[in-house]
Amino acid sequence: MGKRVGIVGAAVTPFKGRWVEKTYYELAQWATADALKDAGISPNEVDGAFYAIYNDIFERTCIPEHPLQGILGLQNKFGIRITNGGATGAYTMSAAHAYVAAGRFDVVLVLGVEKATDCFDFQSMSATPEVIKSIGWSGDSFFEQKLGWTAADSYAEVILAYKDEHPDDLKPEISAAISSQLSMQVRTNPYAQRQFDQVTPEEVLNSRVVAYPFKELEICVYSEGAAALVMAEEETAKAISRNTGQPVVWITGLGEANEHSFAGKNQKVMHRILSDHLAAQRAYKMAGIKSPIDEIDIVELHDAFVPQLEVTMAEMGFVPLGRADSLIEDGIMTPGGKLSVNPCGGLIYCGHAVGASNIMSAWSARSELIKQGKRRALVHGTGSTVAQYTAALILSQE
Amino acid sequence: MTTINKVKKVIPDEAIPEVGTKIVNRDGQDYLLVNDAMFTFYQRSMGEFTPFFLGMRDERKILGCRCTKCGIVRVPPLATRCPDCNFAPTELVEVGDVGKMLSTPPITYFASSLFQEQVPSGRGRIVLEGADTALSVNFYTTKGILVPGIVNRGTEMKVVFKDQRVGDITDIFCVPASELTSEQVARKGLLVSEIDWESAAEPDLPQQGPNDRGRFASALAGLRALAGEMNQCERAREDIADWKRNVHVKTAGGQMTMTIDNGDLTFEPGLVGDPDFVAVCADPMVLQEGLAYKGSLTQAMMERRLWISRNPEFTTIFKLERMARSLARSKKV
Repeated sequence: MGKRVGIVGAAVTPFKGRWVEKTYYELAQWATADALKDAGISPNEVDGAFYAIYNDIFERTCIPEHPLQGILGLQNKFGIRITNGGATGAYTMSAAHAYVAAGRFDVVLVLGVEKATDCFDFQSMSATPEVIKSIGWSGDSFFEQKLGWTAADSYAEVILAYKDEHPDDLKPEISAAISSQLSMQVRTNPYAQRQFDQVTPEEVLNSRVVAYPFKELEICVYSEGAAALVMAEEETAKAISRNTGQPVVWITGLGEANEHSFAGKNQKVMHRILSDHLAAQRAYKMAGIKSPIDEIDIVELHDAFVPQLEVTMAEMGFVPLGRADSLIEDGIMTPGGKLSVNPCGGLIYCGHAVGASNIMSAWSARSELIKQGKRRALVHGTGSTVAQYTAALILSQE
Repeated sequence: MTTINKVKKVIPDEAIPEVGTKIVNRDGQDYLLVNDAMFTFYQRSMGEFTPFFLGMRDERKILGCRCTKCGIVRVPPLATRCPDCNFAPTELVEVGDVGKMLSTPPITYFASSLFQEQVPSGRGRIVLEGADTALSVNFYTTKGILVPGIVNRGTEMKVVFKDQRVGDITDIFCVPASELTSEQVARKGLLVSEIDWESAAEPDLPQQGPNDRGRFASALAGLRALAGEMNQCERAREDIADWKRNVHVKTAGGQMTMTIDNGDLTFEPGLVGDPDFVAVCADPMVLQEGLAYKGSLTQAMMERRLWISRNPEFTTIFKLERMARSLARSKKV
């Protein structure tokens, strides 16, 4: 076991559907400046940077992090970019933790930034089809891209296979209730793309089908924005905490898993998100958690799609597989329930600025732990084809 | 489905923007947008997958790889060594061209810009006879527009080969075996041209009932009122910016024309002008509720309550649904 690692500063920029006013350079600098200010330190005190940027095509350059090193004041220091599909942010936090825990660095910056909607389809004169196309280049390039692979249809495969096994679970009215609830929760997040876009369950049910079975109001929205954390080893973290007066939020558990990307015998089990299950179990073991539903207070979960949120909650052990609807039916995640799930509104309402998303989730989990005086939170990132990748972190407050 | 006679470009000409710029204003400040692209051309190596792709192109057969130790047959032939047997060598074997869906497959209704004209489109995973793993395939129905329920887990599917094949994965797709004759299912290397594809036949409308004319008049009035609101809603206007369509709408109680003209939406009675496509819905309230954001037009199509004559015009349906949501949102703010 290495050194203890804590989060001592965090910030996000507003997430927006489009930032014509700012490039990703400025978004990155903005989030970094605010996170360092939150930790009460300057760039001189940061030993290195971990960049979470998912997709070269979004930023229109193949080494998108290189211009950032200097404008963040980190020239001549360590800098590494992580890219792991939708789980980019969570994996980047995992990597940063490993370096600090190993004693390589005392203080590091974790920065996620993405600018997705500069992509533009000149045929439909709208951004979204081109954003989907850009993400479509992430599918298998020999056998699947030319079939029209998309992130949505690959996650839909998993959800429909789950429905084959559990036909009575994931009822449309439950998904609609969850989406509506998230839209209410987002009202207190001033950085959210859809802070004032509250929807009723009926509106969710009536929203258009984008990729069967997913409806528009059950799907995360593409965002532009940045999120940053400052992580520090134990003694430095405590010193920073004494200075800022903010408690350290410790990273006490981590787990990751990447499944097979093709299906069938000995390959991906299509009706499971085993990556969620394995990553969560590994994080629980490291954090000493035996009963997640009793020992975790806040979940900031990568909700690419509401039905996937439900299956992920089951895979992570909060409800049984096949009974994901009990999240609402038994009041587990409804207001006043045992768990607060995505108080920031999740990626569906706060927005999905891919590399920044999971870091935004960690920013929210940290601030909710401190604000609510709660003990433990889980932060989760999912990504790649057929929900192949997961990274999960346990955040704890003493 | 039909063979393509013209030379296809790697990037379709119509997708390529002109060199240009645009200024947008935010809070009184101008910002510059520049038309741009990242493009790279490839002469891509198919390497060890060459026999798989040439097998489809030249011999209309599908190859997998069998582990010489455990015997598992993977399709596509992903690996020359079995990762489950400490990298024991695999060998290429031919598998069948009939198989079963591994799980219920999704249908995409809102596609990327490369696939706009192919939606609704299905992609599923078929376990072919003689194979242990599943191959990703597009699937279609010979019975009109693709809707959920036609292909499910375990549905028997037949691989169909395009008449003109180029040596990539799109040389094949699948259709439900139940839609073919037993002879077609048994025929090895079945071609697209060997299947009867029903031309899009306009669905019959029911006999006009006593209330249908009144319902039509009410729906038309409602649609005109909605269009009036949409034409005043900036967000809704943006949804159909640069879009022009003439749509003939046929219902049990009467006919109307819907016109989309670069931000303006209008409805008028009767069939006027040369239509880009025809929409048929027995009950005109389907259209009105869709535009009023009280029902989904896509859902209506999935439930066969709304029919359109051209699959590519699904894009227009989507734009209309986006307008409905834009208007509903604008009323909340």
